[in-house]
This record gives sequence, structure tokens and C-alpha cells, in this order.
Amino acid sequence: MVGHDMSWASFHVLEVMSSPKYHQKRVGYLGAVQSFRHDTEVLMLATNLLKKDLAATSPTVISLPIATLPHVITPSLALSTLADLLPRLNHSHANIRKKTLVTLYRLALVYPEALRAAWPKIKDRLMDPNEDPSVTAAIVNVVCELGSRRPKDFLPLAPRLFELLVDSGNNWMAIKLIKLFASLTPLEPRLVRKLLPPLTNIIRTTPAMSLLYECINGIIQGGILDSAEDVAGADEIATLCVNKLRGMIMINGDANLKYVALLAFNKIVLTHPHLVSQQEDVILECIDSSDITIRVQALNLVKGMVTSDNLVPIVSRLMKQLKSSLPSKDRRVPGSSANTPETESDDEAQTAITAPTVRDTQALLLPDDYRIDIIERILFMCSKDNYSSVLDFDWYIDVLTQLVRMSPVPRTFDADTGALLPTRQQVDVAEKVGDELRNVAVKVRAMRATAVRAADLILDQLLSENPVGHSLSSGALRSAIWIIGEYSIQLAMPDDSLNALLQAIPRIGKPDILAVALHATAKVFSSIAGSELEPWTAERKSRISLLLARILDVLEPLALHPSLEVQERAVEFIELLKLTAEAVSGQPPSTDENNQEPPLLLTQAIPSLFTGWELNSVAAHAQKNVPLPEGLDLDEPIHGNLGRLLSQTDIVTLQSDEADDFEVYYHQRPPPSSISSSAPAITRLADPDDDTAGSYQQASEDSYLDADILARRKAERMEKNKDDPFYIPSDNILRTSTPIHNILQNNNGPALDIDSIPVMQLDLEKIGHTVAAPSRPRPQPRQRVVVATDETLEGSDSGTGRQYDSENSTLPKARSKKSKQHSLLQVDSSTIGSFSLEGNPSEAFDYERQQREEAEMQQAMKEVERLRLEMQRANERIQMAQGADVQGVVIKKKTKKKAAAKKAADGAENEGTKVKPKKKVKKAASQAVEGGGGGGGEDASGAPAASADTSGTPPAKVAPKKKKKKKVAPVEEAEVAG
Amino acid sequence: MINAFLVFNGQGQPRLTKFYTQLDTSIQQRLISEIFTLVSNRPAGSCNFLPLPPLLAASSTSHTSTEEQSDVPSLVTYRHYATLYFIIISTTTESPLALIDLIQVYVEALDKLFENVCELDLIFNFETLHATLSEMIIGGVVIETSLDRIVAGVRAQGTVAKRPVNEGRSTIGSGMGIGGNFAWTGRV
Repeated sequence: MVGHDMSWASFHVLEVMSSPKYHQKRVGYLGAVQSFRHDTEVLMLATNLLKKDLAATSPTVISLPIATLPHVITPSLALSTLADLLPRLNHSHANIRKKTLVTLYRLALVYPEALRAAWPKIKDRLMDPNEDPSVTAAIVNVVCELGSRRPKDFLPLAPRLFELLVDSGNNWMAIKLIKLFASLTPLEPRLVRKLLPPLTNIIRTTPAMSLLYECINGIIQGGILDSAEDVAGADEIATLCVNKLRGMIMINGDANLKYVALLAFNKIVLTHPHLVSQQEDVILECIDSSDITIRVQALNLVKGMVTSDNLVPIVSRLMKQLKSSLPSKDRRVPGSSANTPETESDDEAQTAITAPTVRDTQALLLPDDYRIDIIERILFMCSKDNYSSVLDFDWYIDVLTQLVRMSPVPRTFDADTGALLPTRQQVDVAEKVGDELRNVAVKVRAMRATAVRAADLILDQLLSENPVGHSLSSGALRSAIWIIGEYSIQLAMPDDSLNALLQAIPRIGKPDILAVALHATAKVFSSIAGSELEPWTAERKSRISLLLARILDVLEPLALHPSLEVQERAVEFIELLKLTAEAVSGQPPSTDENNQEPPLLLTQAIPSLFTGWELNSVAAHAQKNVPLPEGLDLDEPIHGNLGRLLSQTDIVTLQSDEADDFEVYYHQRPPPSSISSSAPAITRLADPDDDTAGSYQQASEDSYLDADILARRKAERMEKNKDDPFYIPSDNILRTSTPIHNILQNNNGPALDIDSIPVMQLDLEKIGHTVAAPSRPRPQPRQRVVVATDETLEGSDSGTGRQYDSENSTLPKARSKKSKQHSLLQVDSSTIGSFSLEGNPSEAFDYERQQREEAEMQQAMKEVERLRLEMQRANERIQMAQGADVQGVVIKKKTKKKAAAKKAADGAENEGTKVKPKKKVKKAASQAVEGGGGGGGEDASGAPAASADTSGTPPAKVAPKKKKKKKVAPVEEAEVAG
Repeated sequence: MINAFLVFNGQGQPRLTKFYTQLDTSIQQRLISEIFTLVSNRPAGSCNFLPLPPLLAASSTSHTSTEEQSDVPSLVTYRHYATLYFIIISTTTESPLALIDLIQVYVEALDKLFENVCELDLIFNFETLHATLSEMIIGGVVIETSLDRIVAGVRAQGTVAKRPVNEGRSTIGSGMGIGGNFAWTGRV
């Protein structure tokens, strides 16, 4: 009933349904509607009752089964009730007629043949001008449902439908007609010209907002906007639509109109992005709406509209939302409970419900999914077209750092609801943010130093935020650590970073991150210790030995880590570092008279492990474009006599040539060959600091960035612009510490009266000039930053067609392909989709036969299962009789397993033979018994062979027979088998 | 088409559930509670459309082709009257604004039948509730939108029970069983 299980009452419901009293019958049918399912067993018993009630005289009784059928319909039920339903289409009551035709539609969804029989009658009803208008409206509704699936069958009806659209005063029907026409126009372009006058007429005159909206929607969806025939007319109608939609958003207070207008914009933006981008102002307003539904729609729109000009303001808005919603988590609990009184009071229930009430305002809470959505969209917008919209990467990196802090913690897997949870919740959004940071670090060479600093910051913050003893779980950790390791040269304070890494390693839970962290540690160590130029002093020696001891101390427990990857890396580095430690202790420090070189292992070997080619970003499809070398046969054995070769390797012979080959391969760039014509697109920039000249102040930055990030930004900006004459420093700084001021003070001493020096006056004059400057808007200078494109191989277009830049942007697509499961509540209309009204009945989809085949299949499967159980039982009996007959058990298991494998393999091709399994069972069984005469061992191999041409039943049968024989002479059998 | 029509009160107790496709009871319960969570957190002045509840969103994102799009429930429309929420889950073939009107028609029809309808009427006369709905929607397709015809259709099925002034008040409980309701209609 209302959300409670009442399947136990099915039979009682059936009893009440069959009551002769109408009131009881009605309750019974209601129970059936609410509780019966396709698989309810008493449904079989109900068929006759339904047929009887369909033929009743009283219209109220007839409508009961008609209204019930759509809820319980199955193909077989449809088949048996179709004949009773069809005459009801001519019933004298309009009410019965319209209910019947809807029920016929639902019948057709599960049993398409019903439509073939019913369609001529429905069509007659539609064409009949004397038909009751409400019946016509119901037919239009049904046709609209059908039309969205198979529009081309309904083109012949267009004239009549058009007539109805022009003449009828029924708004609901008009809406449906417009929806129907929207799916018809793509098939028949001539309809457009005919439809435009009445549609524009309705748009201009109708008082009903819903009809107005549907007209606009119909025009958009029907492709009327982009019909090429009449360009001026199409433009005119497009402007009319967009203006009306803009009006809808602008109307104050009506959130529904805002929502539907945004929906419509979302459809227009696919074909006419320029029209929508004109409405940017109103759409951006909607992003800050208090209503999440509206926000999501506006977000969808904004995603398509973003350019380099409006990226920063849009992202700023979104960041502000995220930031302001952060503390809301704590408020949630009291907020919801305060709103719901504990007990249901009589008075409350007694108040009239016809007047819509206004609910008290609540603090806006952003659910986590929505915040994940926002973050994903920010990443998508910024990374679009290889970061073409991002002007200021400093800003972007700061945004990313902030996003890592704001990312919601991924929900832990919920056991009882887990199966139905969408997969996206398991993807940690912080990981995506981290990936973005890594992408920027790899692709934007000029920003590498900044990115490394950001990564350092993230690691520090994660360490300090999580209390000691708790494991670090942020998804951004992996990328941050990777950046620190890979670009350790750029680290400001590598010692501190190494410290942080060593602290983090014991607390990292996930093995994949741990593996990255191990590598990063080694990289940072090599950049700290590997310097060749630094003299090998006693101090350096002791420092490095200390460092080594610390690293070894951290790594050693990991040599026993359960994850193989971690274990392997840990063991490798431990051994290497131990060797290094030995070398370090063996090399005496240089003194004043005796200059000692640092150990080669430290300065040459370890750094050379990590300073090969720089890693560039490679397009996701590049691998596909690598041509297969000629003459490569992957199935060919690597060497004819591999065993001998392997045994030879026990005698190690070091060949210096090989090492050189490796050296050449790894450290020297090969001449570009025809195969790998990959040119790294990074144009190397001289000095990042000189290039990042452009700077500007984003007014609202402080509203979404954390204080520490802000302070750092400010300091940097000040530092950068210290000597820039075009930069207007803030007042207090100007007074106290202009560069000239400093110089003068330093040179002349504090006692001098600075103001008397004319140079200062010049400086003051400059202030006067520059005050006027900011009023004149200057175009934002694009930072001269080169963003590397993904490397890929030329030669084939297939892979490079979708040369998308960010991994994140490709993720949703991959996900969407994943499954085709049916949605909840969805009506399966796949059968009717392949059904043609004009088709030849003889070649129609034979539903019954399919059903019959399925039933036979199931029967056969049951038989298999039964035999398997029987066999198992027989086996148990034997075991009981013999004590523990080990061999018997082994043999039996073998047979069963092999049979199962066979079953899986043969399942597909043996569908036809499955119908008559019994016969084959006997045949195969006798065969097997003959084969198995020699003993159990032979039997085990003989049975699968016999089963090759059957469906898997025979081996099951074989086993019990054999066992029965065993019962007669169990001891000998067992001996033979052994 | 319309996939489901739900009515529940401010505490999330369902008063009417009508699913036009078969669902397990446990999933029905989850869907109702998910929608209730969404609906009860709406700020004032927000629109009558809900974001898809997680149960529906999970399955609808996996569909990309436009052909299937028209079959997937993708629109949740609600209206709030005093203590009750009226919810319609539908596919894109329905017009969002028209659905809001449809709920209005339904409530007005109930109001006409019961004369100043309130939540108690819906509890004790759930059959009338269903009868009214089946005059408007059959199998997920709207068949009638005219108020007078709907009311006439329901009245043709028998007298609508009137709420007594003094009786019944003491027996109000949130979990009235079917048996209790049946006895009630028998008395009238």
C-alpha cells in the first residue's frame, strides 16, 4: 500500500475483487493496483475475473479492470484481454472510451501486436470530428507518447493534428500537439512553414504561460530555428523566442519560469550559442540563486559559455559559493529537526490544504554531490581547450590549492545501499583537483615553480590538519607528492620537503600513493645530496649520513609491505641507499690540504636515475598511433632455447658496451625517425619570473581564497611590482618604503631630511599622474605562458580526432558508456520501437514463440540443477557408506568442474539442442559408463569428452551412475582409481 | 508519460503512492524518503522542480542516446499545500509547467469532492483519492484535465464520504491499517 509490503494479502485481494458488491470490488481492485506485480502468482487466477468485469454492463464496473490492467500487464495477460478490450473503444460512455485507449497503449508496450489490432480504431476516433473532445485529447496524449518513439508512422496524421492545434481551445492538448509536431518536423521540413504562423500567433496571444513556453520549446526542439529555408524569418523567430525567455527569467519571484527558461536555453545553446551568450548577465544571476535546481541548470549553461574574458568572474562566483557553504555541515542537524514537529497534531491535519504556504527560510545547504559537481565544472571550464581560457596561471594554481581544501571527503562505501550508489561518489574529487595541478605542472613549464610550491603547501597542510596517528586520505596527495618528487630541483626548501615526505610516508594508507611517495623521497634525496660542486666537507658528510639513516629508518618497515609494488620499490631503494651509506662513510672528508671528491654513487649514479628525459604529457590515444613494427609476431617465442639462455645468465659477464647503449637510449635524444615524429611542443622559456609580467587584482579574490593563500599572493605581487613604474602601490607602502627612499636612506643616513631632495618630488608627482590611470580600462594582458599540448604521433587521424586536453574532461564520457541498465520507473518500450504499424503481420515479432523458447530453456536449466543435486546427494551417501573415500571425492570433483566449464563454453551454441536434453543424457550416460569401465581415473577424462556435444547435463548424470556401481564394489573401484 | 504520483505529508508519511511502473516496495520506500529529503530542504521561493533524487539520477546518467532519453524519468515536479506535498515524476514528454497545473487541478478536484479538503480526508477516504487520480491519469497518460468532468466521474462511482464533525478525531493515528478504513466506509 503506501510504501508497505502487502504481498502476503494477494489472495485476499483477489477474493475481494470478485465480490459482487461494487464498493468491495472497488477496494479489491485498488489493492490489486497497489500490490500486484508481474510475478504475483494469483494474477493467473485474476485473468478470468478481469475478462468478466470488462464485459460488465455498468460503466463504473468496466472502468475498474481498465484502470487496473496497466499496472499488472504481462504479455500473456495482454493477449487474453485484448479481445475484450477492443470493443470497449466503441462504448457509449466517453469516459470508458478514453480509458480503454490508454490501456491499449500500455498493452502495446508489452505486446506490440495489440497496437496493430487497435490502431485502425484509434485512428477512426481521432479523425471523427464528432468525437467527444476529451477523448480526442486523450488520443492526442497517447499519440504523443507513441510519436516520441516512432515519429514517422504518424506523419499521415499531420493534417488532422494541425486542424486540432488551430481549432481546439484545450491548452493541455495544444501542448501535447506541439510536442508531437516537434518530433515530426525533422522528418518533414515542409511542416515548418505551415506551423510557424499558428505558433507565432500563440506566442503572441496566449495568456497561458505553459503554452507559451511549450511553443518556444517546440520551436527549439523541432529544429525550426535552424531550418535553412528562410534565414530572415528564422532569425526573427529566434530573437522573439530568446527575448521571451529572457523575460521569463527577469520576472521577479517566479522561480518556475526561471527554471524552464534555463531549460530552454540549455537546448538552444547547442545550436545557437551566440544567442545565449547575449543573455550572460541574467544567467549569471541564476548561478547565485538560492534554489539548487535553478543553479544546476545555470551551471550547465555557463559551462558552454565560458571564454577567457568571463572565466575569472564565473569561477570566482562558484568559488565563493563553495567557500560560503563550508561551515554548513555543522548546521545541518539542528536545521532539519527544528523544522519537523515530532508528533502529528490534529489541528495541523485539519487545516485546509488548498492554499499553498510559504515555508520559513532556511540557511542554504549545499549537498556534497552539488559541491563535487561545482568542482568538476570549474576544472572542466578551466582546462577546456588546453587551458585556452586561463590567462593567469598563478591564479589558477591558487584556485586549485583552495579547491583541495574545500573538496568534500569522499563518502565511505555504504554497505546496504552500496549496490545502487552511483559510481561517481567513489571517485574522490580531490584526486581530480590534484591531477589538474599535476597537469599544469607538466604542461606549463613557466608555472612549474609555483605548482611545486603549491604541492608543498598541500602536503604541509595535510600533515598539520590530520592529527598524528590518523592516516592521510586526501586524493590530492598522490599528485602533490609526485610533483614534489619530479620537480624537486625547483623546491624552495628541499630539506623541509623531504622532512614532510618522511613524516607522511608512515601515515599513507593507500599503496599506490605510497609507491609514489617512495619514489619522490628518493628523487628529493638525490637533488639534495647529489650536488657535484659542493665540496666534500666533514659537515656535508655527516649531514648526508644522517639523512640516509633517517630515510632508511622510514623505508625499512615498508620492505614487508603487503602491496608488491610498494615492497619492490622499498627494497630497491633500501639496498641502493645502504650502498650509498657505505660509500659515504668510506669516503674521508676533504681537509684543507687534501681535497676529496664526494663518492661517485652519490653524485653520479643516483641522480642519473632520475635525470633522464623530461616527462611530457602524452595524449590518451597516442599509443594507438604507434605502428606495429614489421615482422613482429607476438606469438613467436622470444628465443628458441630460452631455458639454456636463462641458465647461462647465472654466470654474470659485465659488458661495458651494453651500459653505453642504455646511456645513449636514456640520456641522448635520438634523431627523429619516421615512426616517432613527436616533437615536444614545449617552447622553452628563459626565466619564468621575467615573463609573468601581467598582473591584475581580482576584486573579489579575498572572498573565496583562504587567508594564507591571499597573504602570499599579495606579498608576491608586491615583490614583483616593486620596480614596476606602472604599478600603483598602496599608500602606506609608498610613504614608508619606496625603493628610492630606501636607497637614499641607506646612502645618506637617517638624519638627512629626505623631503628636501628634489628626486622625491618627482616621485610624488608621479603619484598624481597615476591616480587617474586606473579609470581607463586596460585589456588584460595575456601572460606569455606556453601551454604544452599533449604529445601524440602523427599519421592516423582516428586517435587524434578527439584531442582533448584534460583527463577530467574525458572522464564523464567513459562513465556514460559504461552501462545500459534500465532506469528505475522506466517503461521499457524497446519492443514497440522496432514495431511498424504498416508492417506485414506474417513477419512480425513472434512474441509467443520467444516466450515458449525461454520457458523451455528454463525447464532445461532446472533439470540440470536437479540432476546436479541428485548427484551431490548420491556422492554424500557413498561417502557415508565408505567412510572417507578420498579418491572418489577427487574424481568426482574433477568431473564436475570440467563439466561446468564445458557448460559455459557450450551454452551459446547448444541452445537448439537443449530442448530435448533427456535423450542425450541417456546416450551420453551409457557412453560414459562404457568408457568409465576401466576405472575412476579414466572416467574423469572420458566424461567431459562425451559432454562436448551436449548441454552439460550428461556429466552430471554420469557421476551418480558411476557411484551406484561403486556401491556394489566400492573397495575395488577405489583401488583401481588409485 | 507520468511515472509516479505521490502524496506525502510534512513528516514524510505517504498518503498516496501510485507508481505506473512496478517497483519493489523497498525501492518505493527509498525513493519516497529521498524525495522527501529533497523536498523538505527547499528554501522559500524556490521553483517547483526538484533535482533528480540519487536513485533516479544514477540510472539516468548512464543513458546518452536521445532515443532513450524520452523514456527515462527526468523531471520531478512538486507542490506544497499546507501539510501535504504532491509529487509527480515524469519523463520529458510532459510539459513541466503543465504538470504544476495538473497538480492544482487534482487538489481542486479533491477540494470540490470533500468540501474544504484536509489531510484527514485523504487518510480516511483513500479510495476517493485513488478514484480521482484514475479519472485524471490512467497508466501514466493524462486522460482528463477538466475539473468538472473529473468530479462528475468520481461522483458517478458512488457517494463520497463526508468527514463527521465529532467522530473519528480520537482515533487519529499515523498508522491506520486497511481494516480500519474499510470499516469506516462500511458505516457511511
